[in-house]
Amino acid sequence: MNLTLYRKELKGSWKLLTIFAAILTMYISMIISMYDPQMADALKQFEELMPELMAAVGMVGGQDTLMGFMTSYLYGMILLVFPMVYIIIRANGLVARYVDQGSMAALLAAPVKRSRVAFTQWMVLVTGIVLLEAYSTALEWFVSEGMFPGELELRQLLQVNGGLLCLHLFIGGFCFLCSCLFSEAKLSLTFGAGIPVLMYILQMLANMGGKLEKIQYTTFFTLFQAGGLAAGEEQAFLFAGIALLAAVVCSVAGILVFRSKDLHL
Amino acid sequence: MGMMEVSHLTRDYGQGKGIFDLSFSIAPGEVFGFLGPNGAGKTTTIRHLMGFLRPRGGSCTIDGMDCWKDAARIQKNLGYIPGEIAFFGDMDGWAYLSFLQKYRGMPGGNRMMELIARFEVNPKGKIKKMSKGMKQKIGIVAAFMHDPAILILDEPTSGLDPLMQGRFVELIQEEKAAGKTILMSSHMFEEVERTCDRIGIIRSGKLVALDSASALGAKHRKRYTVTLAAPQEAADFAQAFGGEQNRLNPCQVTLTQKQTLEDIFLHYYAEEDRP
Repeated sequence: MNLTLYRKELKGSWKLLTIFAAILTMYISMIISMYDPQMADALKQFEELMPELMAAVGMVGGQDTLMGFMTSYLYGMILLVFPMVYIIIRANGLVARYVDQGSMAALLAAPVKRSRVAFTQWMVLVTGIVLLEAYSTALEWFVSEGMFPGELELRQLLQVNGGLLCLHLFIGGFCFLCSCLFSEAKLSLTFGAGIPVLMYILQMLANMGGKLEKIQYTTFFTLFQAGGLAAGEEQAFLFAGIALLAAVVCSVAGILVFRSKDLHL
Repeated sequence: MGMMEVSHLTRDYGQGKGIFDLSFSIAPGEVFGFLGPNGAGKTTTIRHLMGFLRPRGGSCTIDGMDCWKDAARIQKNLGYIPGEIAFFGDMDGWAYLSFLQKYRGMPGGNRMMELIARFEVNPKGKIKKMSKGMKQKIGIVAAFMHDPAILILDEPTSGLDPLMQGRFVELIQEEKAAGKTILMSSHMFEEVERTCDRIGIIRSGKLVALDSASALGAKHRKRYTVTLAAPQEAADFAQAFGGEQNRLNPCQVTLTQKQTLEDIFLHYYAEEDRP
């Protein structure tokens, strides 16, 4: 890794990280504060009014623990999608945009190997993902403890967020691979953003249940099973492990692709 | 063995675009002018030398190292000005230069300040908002500040005013005196004439001429022989037009038309496919 580049890029991630942290802060504290018999009733009313829509974004009620409540209302969309948007923007900006603009020439006209440049950029992406995930974990814990002491089990929270981290690392690896693969930022975004978004839409359809449930086998969001992770189910951990493995495969592939591609800089 | 060796380098982009079986060698301490019309393949050749493109045929080496496999090692001692300079636009000029120094892991403080003063660079403010000339100057500082032994310069003076072009020529002459090996592509004939030991002209991806500027001039010299009525007339004529009176036949005067580099270049640029 090249520390100078790492520091520069981390500085470049800061603004975006702050924005996403602010969004997550708002939603996490708002949703957790709604864990309250009366507010839960309100959400249940929404469910009764539009069951399909609420199910699509993973919000199915009937959860009586705080973790169960969070699983439905936080892990169905908010904690999946917002970090994903950060990942998409940053992954594209770290490699493909520099190649497209030509500023990658400055990074390669130096005694730094291509694989090292790519690895550094990948580390920057991973650092951002881990920071966002760590921040939301801490926030969830402190907000829960502050409002409903003793209601949330730390072990469960860590299990669920560990799995979520695996999923996001996989999405990160995929977007990074797209960023390394395409020399035009436009193409990198089309695939790096298009496929995850498509996958999420499929996930929404699968959540609606019935015949559509089969769709879950086509989307990588299935690899994150919030309920299963909280309950400590073996299958959920296995899925998280698969996501992590896929993350490694994608990342390594990205670095290898970047190392051997032709660059018209 | 040359400092830079391009041998049978081929890269076919189709439709006659690309470079084909290109071979030339640049000796240590030589300044090589790399000329040719737009789209002739200069930048493609340079991209191979920089290790940005993998050769599809042939090879190129710098200081005995393969340009593709050993790119990072070669870069230790190489300075590069790209044909189109792109920076990290949001960066401040100072921040960019000090970033590059640290990134390269090479000290260059004095040299950087000296170059900044020489080219009257004002690195304050965002690079994005700088004029084209100022951006070019930052590119020059970035390429020379670590005092590399080898320089690859793709149209280094584009966007510079004549005063700064002059200073750039001086810089190249100093670097040449210091024994640096330089490959420079350019469209500025004066700059090439004043700095380059040898010139290679590339057209449609093929090398069409390769020689010193004076030898290229000699090759394209045009001579005219004028016969006048009387020896005295011939002598006057010779004096007036800088000709040479024939000793054996004093009525004849030989005139040599001096071809400027520009004429020679235009000859190669404009010419249709040669056999």
